[in-house]
Amino acid sequence: MTLFTDTFLIALLAGVVAAGVPLLLAGLGEQLSEKAGVLNVGIEGMMLGGAYLGFYVAWASESTGLGFLAGALGGMTVAALMVLFCVRLGLNQIVIGIALTLGAEGATALLHHVQFSRLYPRLPEVATWRIPGLAEIPIVGPALFDREPVVYLALGLVPAFVWLYRRTHLGLAIQAAGDKPAALDSAGESVLAIRALSVLGCGALVGLGGAFMSIAAAGVFVPFMTHGNGFIGIVLAMLARGRPLWVLLGAALFGACLSAATALQVAGVDIPTDVVQMLPFAAVMAVLLIAGRNAKLPAALGAAYVRGER
Amino acid sequence: MTKTPLTRLGRLVSVAALCAGLGLPALAGEISSIAILTPEAGTDYGWNQQGIDGAKAAAAAAGIEAIVAENLGYGDVRPTLRELAEDKPGLIIAHASGYNTAAPEIGAETGVKVAIVDSPDALKANAVADYTASGHEGAYLAGVLAAKMSRSGTVGIVTSGEPPSWNSQSAAFAEGVKATKPDAVIRYAVIGPAAYSDAAGGKRVTESLIAAGADIIFGQGNGSSFGMLQAVETTPAADGGKVLFIDVIGDKSPIDKGFLLSSVLWNLEPVYAAMIADVKNDSFGSHNYGIALKDGSVALLKTPQIPEDVWTQVMAVKDEIVSGKITVTPHFDAESVHALVTGN
Repeated sequence: MTLFTDTFLIALLAGVVAAGVPLLLAGLGEQLSEKAGVLNVGIEGMMLGGAYLGFYVAWASESTGLGFLAGALGGMTVAALMVLFCVRLGLNQIVIGIALTLGAEGATALLHHVQFSRLYPRLPEVATWRIPGLAEIPIVGPALFDREPVVYLALGLVPAFVWLYRRTHLGLAIQAAGDKPAALDSAGESVLAIRALSVLGCGALVGLGGAFMSIAAAGVFVPFMTHGNGFIGIVLAMLARGRPLWVLLGAALFGACLSAATALQVAGVDIPTDVVQMLPFAAVMAVLLIAGRNAKLPAALGAAYVRGER
Repeated sequence: MTKTPLTRLGRLVSVAALCAGLGLPALAGEISSIAILTPEAGTDYGWNQQGIDGAKAAAAAAGIEAIVAENLGYGDVRPTLRELAEDKPGLIIAHASGYNTAAPEIGAETGVKVAIVDSPDALKANAVADYTASGHEGAYLAGVLAAKMSRSGTVGIVTSGEPPSWNSQSAAFAEGVKATKPDAVIRYAVIGPAAYSDAAGGKRVTESLIAAGADIIFGQGNGSSFGMLQAVETTPAADGGKVLFIDVIGDKSPIDKGFLLSSVLWNLEPVYAAMIADVKNDSFGSHNYGIALKDGSVALLKTPQIPEDVWTQVMAVKDEIVSGKITVTPHFDAESVHALVTGN
């Protein structure tokens, strides 16, 4: 039987999207937070919060749309704790981020145990939006242009963030909060408010990514299911050094390498699985390190802002 | 200075009190509890549930307490191990391959015996034993069943990693398929390194295998197996018909929507019961433990999806394995699996 049929190639391409979208949303969210000066190590926890709440609401309301909204809200809820402890109280961002991740892992596992551990409900397939014309392109069309609305939203966010950072007062304020918060303060803007807004926005995006994983990519919630996607999102954001387009490239490359790894295994290419599975990580790091070597991270990244303190 | 009997008695009482206060280990043969640690909750119809249920059953049969620490994740469990060791259980069962470095370490530190998986070479008298339980005989039967039930002649194997237990079952499944239908095509894919909870990855990879023509999926994973199940429920086979799923370790029948073909069932109670007996006999750590068809610790699940005539044929093969007419040799390394599925 021929392996590389249209059906198989479509499944591989669709796999790129399914794996790449949560990373794209996580990377964009982390980038937003970092630009404002908050190193958000807790996005794995925010993603899990979004995955659980999104799945729960989609299952209970039988509406995937409400589920995705709830996912964003779930991420924001965990992010609100980050705002309280790191932005408002100025505590160590790395310590709080790790604590939030561990806390969210425990809380969502416990909630799952109480709610779903005997039933393991699975959701039906999420309805897709078919883009006329493009969806008819062989192989690429069904995989890329007949997708869940969240996929188009995630892709649309990339130019939106480029515009936000380059063309708007808010975008400049966000970057000032990360580079020179004292200057932003002197200009009459509230550093804490800008940082809080950015972290909450990060939580919403990351939570949406988590909800995409549980509602669309898996159709089920299981404990720890984000499986390090939040941490990969942090790596993407750090290596992309402030450029949303590079986050998109990194997420797509990672997803493509995952699908390529599956294709190599299914084709029976006889090389160690560990080597095949190292591909996505190695490729993303290599490309982004080369591409992002001249960019720099915000000067005040990771530092709490206290007015009047130098 | 002359020692009086009263002084000696006083010293003896003091030493006894000191020993009690320091909580020195109970004498060999005395065991009041065992403890088990699992990475996920004991309600997964799989690895974690079988481990906890088996430990509870074995402890109950021995009249001792089973202490359960579940849902611990795949990170560092040393603090939990130390906490459990404080209660001085007769045995700590570290029920995850990811725990097989930390458990012997804490066992040596606290003097508590530990049972681990996927590390047979770690065997140490009165300290460490391995129970790399391999359901390879059951997996061979699952391969026979898959070959008989496949319409396309293509079957898929999806795993959440390549630990020895998974490898031996993947290899045996492939052998069972090939022994029954030599021209069958076997597609094999691993979700990721230790992707036990990656349900989204499980669905993605399973969909790829179905797209590659598989209409029977042999899935090995913990939480990720629910993603595999979701994929077979939502993705039709190349001929438009149903894709069927063969699970491992546990019985997902209560949550099945008509896609579960079978499962290679494990029963770990006899394994843990043997460990408790060995701890009591002071012979723990002298040998490792396993499971097999002949004593019922491995079995193949019968579901309504299996026609009676096919089941009868599969059970005939089972009888041949139990009688020794067919020998299924476990292959614990990934290279053997790759060679078997690629036919090299």
